Amino acid sequence: MSIRTVTVIGANGTMGRNVSAIFASFGNAKVHMVCRDMEKAKEAVEKAVQSVKADSIRRNLLPADFSTLLDCVRESDLVFDSVAENMEIKGEVIGQIRDALPQDAYFCSGTSGLSITKLAEMLPEEKRRNVFGVHFFNPPYSLNLCELIKTNYSDVNKHQKLREYLSSCLHRSVVEIKDRPAFLGNRIGFQFLNEAMQYAQRCQDSGGIDYIDSILGPFSGRSMPPLVTSDFVGLDIHQAIVDNLYSNLASGDKEAYKMPDFAVSLVKEGRLGRKTKGGLYKTLILSENDKKRLVFDIASSTYRDQIEYNFSFAQKAIHHLARGDYQAAAFSIFNNESQEAEICTEFLLKYIFYSLQASLEVGNSTHDADVVMVHGYGWCPPQAMLEWISSTGMLHSISKERLPKSFQEIFDIDMLLGVAQKSGFDYRRYLHAKK
Amino acid sequence: MQKVFIMGGAQTDFERNWTKEGKGLLALLKESVSDGLAAAGLTFDDIKELNKVNKVGCFVGNFIGELYAEQGHLGALVTMVDKALYGVPTARYEAACASSSAAIDAAFSKIALGEYEVAVVIGWELMKTVDSKTGGDFLGHAAFYEEEGKGISFPFPKLFGKLADELIAKYSLDENVFMDSLAKISAKNYSNAKKNPLAQTRKWFMDYEQARHRGTPTNQLVGGRLAVSDCSQVTDGAAVVVLASEGYLAKRGLKNNPYIKGWGHRVAPMPFQDKMQDSLSSPYVLPWTRQAIEDAYRRSGLTVQDIDVFETHDCFTSSEYAAISAFGITVPGEEYKAIQDGIITFEGSKPVNPSGGLIGCGHPVGASGARMLLDLYKQVSGAAGAYQVHNVRNAMMLNIGGSATTNYSYIVGR
Repeated sequence: MSIRTVTVIGANGTMGRNVSAIFASFGNAKVHMVCRDMEKAKEAVEKAVQSVKADSIRRNLLPADFSTLLDCVRESDLVFDSVAENMEIKGEVIGQIRDALPQDAYFCSGTSGLSITKLAEMLPEEKRRNVFGVHFFNPPYSLNLCELIKTNYSDVNKHQKLREYLSSCLHRSVVEIKDRPAFLGNRIGFQFLNEAMQYAQRCQDSGGIDYIDSILGPFSGRSMPPLVTSDFVGLDIHQAIVDNLYSNLASGDKEAYKMPDFAVSLVKEGRLGRKTKGGLYKTLILSENDKKRLVFDIASSTYRDQIEYNFSFAQKAIHHLARGDYQAAAFSIFNNESQEAEICTEFLLKYIFYSLQASLEVGNSTHDADVVMVHGYGWCPPQAMLEWISSTGMLHSISKERLPKSFQEIFDIDMLLGVAQKSGFDYRRYLHAKK
Repeated sequence: MQKVFIMGGAQTDFERNWTKEGKGLLALLKESVSDGLAAAGLTFDDIKELNKVNKVGCFVGNFIGELYAEQGHLGALVTMVDKALYGVPTARYEAACASSSAAIDAAFSKIALGEYEVAVVIGWELMKTVDSKTGGDFLGHAAFYEEEGKGISFPFPKLFGKLADELIAKYSLDENVFMDSLAKISAKNYSNAKKNPLAQTRKWFMDYEQARHRGTPTNQLVGGRLAVSDCSQVTDGAAVVVLASEGYLAKRGLKNNPYIKGWGHRVAPMPFQDKMQDSLSSPYVLPWTRQAIEDAYRRSGLTVQDIDVFETHDCFTSSEYAAISAFGITVPGEEYKAIQDGIITFEGSKPVNPSGGLIGCGHPVGASGARMLLDLYKQVSGAAGAYQVHNVRNAMMLNIGGSATTNYSYIVGR
């Protein structure tokens, strides 16, 4: 299949311009980068070039604004929607292009969780077969996951061809996902991130945010602690994703997606994270070369110095990981009964069971959960995590002992352990010997 | 002399940055040795048994761990991997970027002489422990440091930039044709690396246009006419290959393992200028590199016609360019023809670096020779996965140290 010309609508946004670069580089396609105005479009071209570190793709990137949108769409083999995550705004854009969109052209939305079926229904019937969700992760140059979502309207042949194009030509790790809220990667990832936020609120007297981040540091399978991640992503985006899940999930596990009150207040106050110079954390610039990072103290609603926690379980795990003793590191965490080790264990176990359950509901196999977490988040994939914990011989017993009864009522631990497969991924590289 | 077989081995994922993971050389060694033995079908208990009768040794290839990892006595360090290695004869071999080929050489000899039944070759380097400028200075120790390295920023790109100049001058090449040929080598190796799940650059973007346009902000010149796209990148990594005697394979019921059919080892004058002076009377720009390859052909009784795939030392595109005639794929001076005709591409008749080579797969210097031998083993035994070349009977490698000073070549076949 040949995709020679692409139009990216909303190319001034981070995802829009980064995705433009992927089409223009690996795909060697001509890309119309449609932005709010030409100045923004030109800036977006330069940033796109930087995102794949290749000046050679500049020849493929054409800045545009909405005045030429229809001309761009008319000559495109694929139109990619990267406008704001809002059904109304997307509806307006689709309304504008519905007639200009060529009969055979793909319409792909990069939405991170809105219904692809509803988007398809905004187009005339004969064009709905060409609509797909194509969900990239940021930054797509290093995180090459692509969640591919079809609808009941989708043409089978076009679906196959698109899958082939994304994997062979654009070098994406493609996972087919059902058209469900937030798809798979964010459903798994935001369970972890949001529960970390909930626990920060619950443990506010022990320190709250930096306390939880120190318990779930890089030694437990992610290069960045969870609440640093949310701060980096932006609390408004975090809220949009978890609210979407909370309102649309029917099952009993939706509580994990309820954003805690303190974080809702931060969003209301415009303290959205790194992009607003303050959120869960805040960087204080003391002088040109001197910066200090503060953390939001939930109990007092003020920013304070971070606390250097030295949990013994974490120190031991880090010592063993630094020397490549992974089993010993696992014992340090899972065979420790301190409050902090128990919280860490509970999170890692829940991560595994949420992932397995979600992959059964939204994906095609449990392997999908591994692929999305590796290639979309760079986290230790759940089934590899399961193998690491299993190396202690304690997986089954700690799952029963450490997971709350309420969790075990919703999740069938034995069934899920039964469906888990051998992970194709190696846990070792994801367990960092760092606080 | 006995035949020396390959039982298997493993390499680490060259994409990994062990410093970022907070891990050091012990973690790297434990992981690579245990994975390598497992891939060869061996356990630490097997090593223990062999060691009771003094029939196993470990041969460590590493260039300059003293600087990068602040650790010497690198042979003995292997005992920290597992208690089964207590008492096992181990030593470190050093020949700059050909260090693990020197380790293979020693391992090969012990088995060929019938002294050992199993020899474990461990090549490794941790390079991300320092910034690129400091690392560039460390690598300068592979040249004659006093004159070619000290105080020079990134000495090696400059030396291989000079090799590019010498190639153009020696064969009166059209400069554009030559430089475009180098760009094609780069694009080919990046493209091949996309098929290799352990390659450093498997997610990176590089095409012929990007490689051809040098001197741009994203492809800056780094050594004379060579730009970033012409260079292999530093990375961390290890490769382990297990060699064994025919008798040992028989004991374990193994048949048809690939074996090392031939080898060549020649050392050229160390300073680059002396090399060039020395090569004036030869049709080859690197005559001792050619000689090492001829020696490997002679010892194996094979010729270039018999070789189905090559892994070469493309530390820079200019070194792969020179290797094409050294292998005998073309006569010297006509290397560009093999590139233009697609002969050395993955689909070509003489594929060079299907793994991605040093440019695509990555170049943790002390590991590269062992990584190449492992790739020859994979190609000959049909275990190279997505980068498997069809119907490989014989495969050849060239691993060089310094500015093509130490030259090692091995042929693996069935």
